Amino acid sequence: MQTIKLKYLFTLFVLIALVQLFVPLQMILGQEDILDKGTAYKFKTEPVDPSDPFRGKYITLRYAINSVTTKDSTWLRQDDVYVYVKEDSLGFAEVDQVSKAPLAIDKDYVLAKVNWYNKNTKNLRFNLPFNRFYMEESKAKPAEDAHRKAQRDTLPNNTYALVYIKEGEAVLKDVIINEVSIADYVE
Amino acid sequence: MQSKLIKELPELVEKGVITRDIASKIEGYYASKQQDSPNRLFTIFGVLGSILIGLGIILIIAHNWDNFPKAIKTGFAFGPLIIGQLLVGFSILKQKSNTWKEASGVFLFFAVGASMAMVSQIYNIPGNFSSYMLTWMLLCAPLIYVLRSHALALLHLLFATIYACEYGYSYNGNTPWAYLLCIAILLPYYYNLLKRKLESNITSVFSWLFPISVIITLGAFITKFDELIFLSYIILFGLFYNIGKLPAFQNLRLRQNGYLVLGSLGTVVLLLTASFRWVWKDVLGISKTYISESSLVLVLFIATTVVVVRLIQKKRLEILNLFHYIYIIMSVLFFIGLANDIVPTIITNILLFVLGLNAIKIGVNKMHFGILNYGLLIIASLIFCRFLDTNMSFVIRGLLFVLIGVGFFITNYIMLRKQKTESRKQKTESNKTLK
Repeated sequence: MQTIKLKYLFTLFVLIALVQLFVPLQMILGQEDILDKGTAYKFKTEPVDPSDPFRGKYITLRYAINSVTTKDSTWLRQDDVYVYVKEDSLGFAEVDQVSKAPLAIDKDYVLAKVNWYNKNTKNLRFNLPFNRFYMEESKAKPAEDAHRKAQRDTLPNNTYALVYIKEGEAVLKDVIINEVSIADYVE
Repeated sequence: MQSKLIKELPELVEKGVITRDIASKIEGYYASKQQDSPNRLFTIFGVLGSILIGLGIILIIAHNWDNFPKAIKTGFAFGPLIIGQLLVGFSILKQKSNTWKEASGVFLFFAVGASMAMVSQIYNIPGNFSSYMLTWMLLCAPLIYVLRSHALALLHLLFATIYACEYGYSYNGNTPWAYLLCIAILLPYYYNLLKRKLESNITSVFSWLFPISVIITLGAFITKFDELIFLSYIILFGLFYNIGKLPAFQNLRLRQNGYLVLGSLGTVVLLLTASFRWVWKDVLGISKTYISESSLVLVLFIATTVVVVRLIQKKRLEILNLFHYIYIIMSVLFFIGLANDIVPTIITNILLFVLGLNAIKIGVNKMHFGILNYGLLIIASLIFCRFLDTNMSFVIRGLLFVLIGVGFFITNYIMLRKQKTESRKQKTESNKTLK
């Protein structure tokens, strides 16, 4: 009786352990798949530096594309919005169109959240989901400063986030200042 | 306490109060009881050690080592997790002591959090804090039952509370329904504790933390219909008070019965707030109703009534104890208060006064000075609030104070006379028996 109970308990635990392993593993596989097969886009951005108690220092990215003009005025806060993107002439991402449901067109999109719809200007503000870039704790603050400095120099459009997109899922791979990865740039 | 008794045993035996046999039995009983305690100390140290190591790993990982290649970082993510799982597996398979199970379980708990944090960092997954905590909690919840671990159950309760606050009280907050799921997961464990180890320390810890967690989070469920917050809390405190009076909690000391204490204190504090007229005048006034939040309050009301009915069935309801039905009276007052602000203010004041007197009476009957002083404190606070109440004219306040003071003298006088007649009766009776 005792051993049966033990066996049962242990099997149960093995199942739990497998689920515990599966969740982070599945996170990794999903992200790797996007990096592998997704399309890379450059999003112009601006980094600032906050912190998370369990996951450490990161920089929050404020994207240059954060709004679009649309006639549809029924948007509510925190609504899902499908943002379709394309490349502009300089190779940076720009908004193609937005929609409340996925469209049957062959363009990449990301699922963002509505921030605010201004009825007067017909302007829809949204938050792109990949706004967090984790950095070594000593580098997050210098990264913010470095960006500010880079913004003041004569080169235009020199800070961007490299984002891979596949079927609405996006992975933020790196943040680039003057064609150098931000982690190396601040060293 | 125990050692004092044991020290006095030889004297008791010498004086012939107890036999040598009984003395050795008493000694044996305490000796067997003490055997548990060093074990418990090991467990506590083990759990604290695991918590510290676990948090340490999380902090080290949070440094974000960006010099390491992705493969090594992934190793960091799974290393602690697999070590934790091996430790837990080992302590289940080898049927190790509770110390092992608690300590390894807590370590695994933090390892799960660390591994998810690490993966988030590698791929810059934005996932907000509350959903991260929820996934973490749910991944570890079954361990509470597999390991029968108190520490994991406490961590679960703590995390569920933080989750609900983070999700519900933040700017743009939503109703944290998942909190109810987390609590439901924990309920069988708590029920088991109540059934098997009612008087142990860990059960009273839960009997305090459980209601405290619900008190903290209830407000997060009422995000839009703000007017309901007062009503929902007064019903919640009524529920706790009545639960605290259930037969299961009957023999517990006051400090083991968090429900009773929190329910009673909460009710008094809320009533004191509502004894000001401006609360009814300014705060209460419904502009818009929300069905889901109203039904939540209705569910609370029904649950409390079920408990009260149960008390009636078990003949545990003290008919004169107003605390039992304050929630009904206040619910009625809430609706009256929407139209009129004077009636509910006056009734709330009377209710508080009666509650105070009630507590004093119970204190006197039971010769319990804690309860007696509690009653005095209620009345003193009520007086203090009214003295400061600028909404009433000085004349009315003055007259009220004089009237209440006279009332005190009269009740004291009646009680004294009663006591005298009773002691006279006792004297004559004892004289009779002596003769």
